[in-house]
Amino acid sequence: MSPESASIEALKEEMTAIYPKKVAKKRNDQIMINEVGEEDAVPEIKANTRTAPGIITQRGCCYAGCKGVVLGPTRDIVNLVHGPIGCSFYAWLTRRNQTRPPSEESENFMNYMFSTDLQDDEIIFGGEKKLAEAIREVYDIFQPKAIGVFSTCPVGLIGDDVHAVSRQMSEELGINIFGFSCEGYKGVSQSAGHHIANNQLFKHVIGNGQEVPEGEFKINLLGEYNIGGDAFVLEDIFERCGITLLSTFSGNSSIAQFESSHHADLNLVMCHRSINYIAEMIEEKYGTPWFKVNFIGAEGTAKSLRKIAEYFDDDGLRERVETVIAEEMAKVEAAQKVYRPKLEGKTAMLFVGGSRAHHYQDLFSEIGMETISAGYEFAHRDDYEGRKVLPNIKMDADSRNIEELTVSKDPEGYREDRAEYKKAKEDEGFEFSDYKGMMPEMKDGTLVIDDISEHETELLLKRLKPDIFCAGIKEKYGVQKFGIPCKQLHSYDYGGPYAGFAGAINFYEDIDRMVNASVWKHLKAPWAG
Amino acid sequence: MSTAALEPKTEKTFRKVAIYGKGGIGKSTTTQNTVAALAEMGRKVMVVGCDPKADSTRLLLGGLAQKTVLDSLREEGEDLELEDIMKEGFRNTLCTESGGPEPGVGCAGRGIITSINMLEQLGAYEEEQDLDYAFYDVLGDVVCGGFAMPIREGKAQEIYIVVSGEMMAMYAANNICKGIVKFAEAGGVRLGGLICNSRNVDREADLINELARKLGTQMIHFVPRNNDVQRAEIKRQTVIDWNPECEQADEYRALAKAIDENEMFVVPTPLEIEELESLLIEFGMFN
Amino acid sequence: MTLLRHTFDEIKPRKALTVNSAKTCQPVGAMYAALGIHRCLPHSHGSQGCCSYHRSALTRHYKEPVMAATSSFTEGASVFGGQANLLKGIETIFQVYDPDVVAVHTTCLSETIGDDIPQIVSKCNDKGFIPEGKLVIHCNTPSYVGSHVTGFANMVTGMVKYLSTSTETEATRYNVIPGWVEPSDMRELKRLMGVLGLDTILFPDTSDVLDCELDGERDFYPDGGTTIEDLRATGDSAATFALGAWASKPAGEELESKCGVPTKHLDLPIGLRATDRFIDAVRTTAGIEVPTELTKERGRLVDVMSDMHQYLHGKRVALVGDPDQLVALSEFCADLDMRPVYIVSGTPGKAFEHDVLERLEERIPEVKIANGANADMFLLHQWIKQEPVDMIIGNTYCKYICRDENIPLIRHGFPILDRVGHSLFPTVGYMGAMRLLEKILDAVMTKQDLESDEEKVELVM
Repeated sequence: MSPESASIEALKEEMTAIYPKKVAKKRNDQIMINEVGEEDAVPEIKANTRTAPGIITQRGCCYAGCKGVVLGPTRDIVNLVHGPIGCSFYAWLTRRNQTRPPSEESENFMNYMFSTDLQDDEIIFGGEKKLAEAIREVYDIFQPKAIGVFSTCPVGLIGDDVHAVSRQMSEELGINIFGFSCEGYKGVSQSAGHHIANNQLFKHVIGNGQEVPEGEFKINLLGEYNIGGDAFVLEDIFERCGITLLSTFSGNSSIAQFESSHHADLNLVMCHRSINYIAEMIEEKYGTPWFKVNFIGAEGTAKSLRKIAEYFDDDGLRERVETVIAEEMAKVEAAQKVYRPKLEGKTAMLFVGGSRAHHYQDLFSEIGMETISAGYEFAHRDDYEGRKVLPNIKMDADSRNIEELTVSKDPEGYREDRAEYKKAKEDEGFEFSDYKGMMPEMKDGTLVIDDISEHETELLLKRLKPDIFCAGIKEKYGVQKFGIPCKQLHSYDYGGPYAGFAGAINFYEDIDRMVNASVWKHLKAPWAG
Repeated sequence: MSTAALEPKTEKTFRKVAIYGKGGIGKSTTTQNTVAALAEMGRKVMVVGCDPKADSTRLLLGGLAQKTVLDSLREEGEDLELEDIMKEGFRNTLCTESGGPEPGVGCAGRGIITSINMLEQLGAYEEEQDLDYAFYDVLGDVVCGGFAMPIREGKAQEIYIVVSGEMMAMYAANNICKGIVKFAEAGGVRLGGLICNSRNVDREADLINELARKLGTQMIHFVPRNNDVQRAEIKRQTVIDWNPECEQADEYRALAKAIDENEMFVVPTPLEIEELESLLIEFGMFN
Repeated sequence: MTLLRHTFDEIKPRKALTVNSAKTCQPVGAMYAALGIHRCLPHSHGSQGCCSYHRSALTRHYKEPVMAATSSFTEGASVFGGQANLLKGIETIFQVYDPDVVAVHTTCLSETIGDDIPQIVSKCNDKGFIPEGKLVIHCNTPSYVGSHVTGFANMVTGMVKYLSTSTETEATRYNVIPGWVEPSDMRELKRLMGVLGLDTILFPDTSDVLDCELDGERDFYPDGGTTIEDLRATGDSAATFALGAWASKPAGEELESKCGVPTKHLDLPIGLRATDRFIDAVRTTAGIEVPTELTKERGRLVDVMSDMHQYLHGKRVALVGDPDQLVALSEFCADLDMRPVYIVSGTPGKAFEHDVLERLEERIPEVKIANGANADMFLLHQWIKQEPVDMIIGNTYCKYICRDENIPLIRHGFPILDRVGHSLFPTVGYMGAMRLLEKILDAVMTKQDLESDEEKVELVM
């Protein structure tokens, strides 16, 4: 054992030593020292399991994943939260999903918050009547095309049936109304909510659009939520390449785009964790193949665009893609020349989400920064170790209560030609439906920590002293008290966009601004010892 | 935790009593008749019905419909006053019904929590009410946390379980004891005894006495089966009100007196299921 | 493009729907209050999301670390009750995070299940999970009752219930219950009591907890917060000044009935007259003279009020936020001869309208007041569409209305997510009132400077 790996081993022991025995045992399986073997074999990490009560965790709840993450960014569905006021209040404009309605007349409910504001007596006597009335009032005042109804903890407990009320009201009002059983206690994190959101969108929305949209090279971009304008950057790139973007799930989206998304030739998956279910279900029902892309990082963006061109195998597209890459990379390289010397050799840690902690490592490496520790907040084993472990993931009680939809070929909509095309491509060695995971791309000896706690965060900062730490708002100021800048990778700290080429340049700038900020040099008073 | 038993009634004390038991065992009838007897003895008693059916005070009120705490709360909001939800019944007993949703909707347990909190806020338990007793008549089984509200710390300190010699009633009694143990560890709640509401089972009194012994408690009274209870109920009265001279009235007087003078308050020792079954076999129920 | 493009002046009746709420739920208030106890870790007994959302909201507002633990309920816990989770939680918390006190608050989930916190805590004691000398306190905060303000009040009342003790000690100290105000306000209240020469226990106290220094070292538990010793001693104080009927009155009443400490119920001292009443109540209760220093401070405020009167009189103001703040602010606006015409709070309570009207002394006959169910920012916006105002005083969410209607926003209340300053500079007391005036004037005049005709732009004002 090298002295370095010995000290990492010791740090891991220090992290778990303080916990009660059972908690320590569990954490021990969630804190891994990375080691990449042949065929990308990596150590098995425990993920997507319960957080021990009393641990100060980064995680939120199922509702946050469903309403906050997946449905939140869509501008023309009224998201009505059936529950006490807080659930809706906290998910009101706090995720920085930007949206651009096509005109002043287009619907945009993103700046609104809707709630049934359940009261004590409605918990006791049941809240279904109030929900039905609230839906009527939404319709009377706002006339939306669709309403999503979100169930919360106490609603699940008292047994209000949001699906039945949605169905009845849908019949009464003649618009699409659908419910989500995304009570906060479901699952172990936001992840359960992503799955529930995927299911309901698939059941109630996707496939409703009969008209085949115009355009060449039709794609959907799945798992891009337009934080800080990321989706705008990508929309621009696709347009310049002549790729037709039918829908984005769900940044800068509208319900009509979702409804017609099954007409796409290809699905691109950005955030594998939150949206892979829809990709899989669309393929099963409509034969649309999917592959994983990464538009975070200039290299990754170029690689992803080339893969799209390769998939469609069209010379014109290939040429346009290369032109865009050439134009953009010139700017990117110029920026790298500026920022790399200032950041080369600095270290980063990333603890966030279910894909960002992986994707953003590319951006750091483009400016010469090394990721010395990383982990997800709510990912599953496949996001760490790759989809190859999917057959080996054991179902536990918390996953079992999330519905798995049984999907079969649509008798009319299934496109055999796409499936055959995919088969031919696969024979050429083209990779579909795969995600290699975070760990195979990280160095040996780095610490990979799932669902990191406040206590472990503190030890990482004290012992390994990174130059920057990436996490969310709850961690931000605690990290910075150590004199270490903390970049929020949920909301981007009011920055962004960071996707695509232009986003990469933004990110380099922001990291330089944070790591090299003058203020860090003045933490101590001149008279302090 | 202190295990000292409650002080027996010497001077004016305010005792809070919860009556539990299997659904249909006759809790409400037993409670109201006992309360009537206590009232007759000059005790000032409040009855808090903790069953969404809201039928715990009907006999004391002579069939008068009582508006429940939760219904009033819904209508009056925060302007609710104690008079809105509390009616005087037989011999100045104070009657309230917590009420709750119809079966299959909402959360009846939460209803009990809310209404007891509301009664406290409105001062129903305060000194000026000059109460000797508050009786909580609680729905059949403690199905969720809300139904344990009456025995949380600072609420009822003594519990009586209405039971009969029927197997399911005894199972229920034993289960309720398990619940009491949990709350007894934290607070002062204690079991005061079993009330046997006879179903004319063979050797019933012996059986319940034995069950009580095994639970570490007592059978505080054996109430024989008597059709006068039903006759009185048809008139929407307790037997004490309907015919103070009848034999059954004396039975409830005896029960009331036993409760009034009770000094035996214990943390029960619930039986293992095998133990309970062997008890039933011993008394010839599992032949 | 308009941000709130679906809001029109026509008001359709609503009974069930809340849009753009002017309140949030109880637990976040309990969490904020608990942070005002020295070395306290708040604990949210419910699903993970509650704790996460509350910590995020408080962090975004105070821009400081907000530490709190959760019982991390899963579906199993919500069926079988949360006892196992809380037991494990408390064991882990004391072992890993070593607080002096854990302040548990409930959530809609644990309240609906009916978890009995004292029973579970006593079980923790039996199991030896609570180390010698350490404490667990609690309050009930079902999210479907009251609002974030009542949740705050419940936790403060919980402090009294669990800790305040009366002994035979001579009563020499004075309690101040500040209500849900900024750390800066709590600091200012302590300064004022210091100027008055009184030994004060202010509780809760989030100064030096949520406005901490950055010096490269992190204290998991910062220096601030009311100590347990002081919280116990509140039962021995000579008197309590409970500021704000919503956030502080319940704790003041509890302290009076539990320990016999006489309580003066006062408004939050925001603005001239509310501060006057506070200082005067302290003066008469403690039997002291008000030092010249403070009278001069008051005089400076009056001076600024008279100087600025020409710019502010007659300006129509919309106020939205929490009741204690609104009661005081509406009086202050009226004392500046401004016209507080719309007053909205999501926090329920029938006394609100009465309290506001009493402070307005019939000076604003056109005032519209709404609070409780369906009193939200959507309604406020509709009122503004019907007849506009010159400014809004409220939290960050108001900026969407302000941009659409081209109205200046003076940020005040909770949450403020897009600016700094609120946690650093007070708005209570005479100094605070001067700062408020500065902010109001700046907002109004900046708009005038930017929008007035060329020839009307003036150098000297």
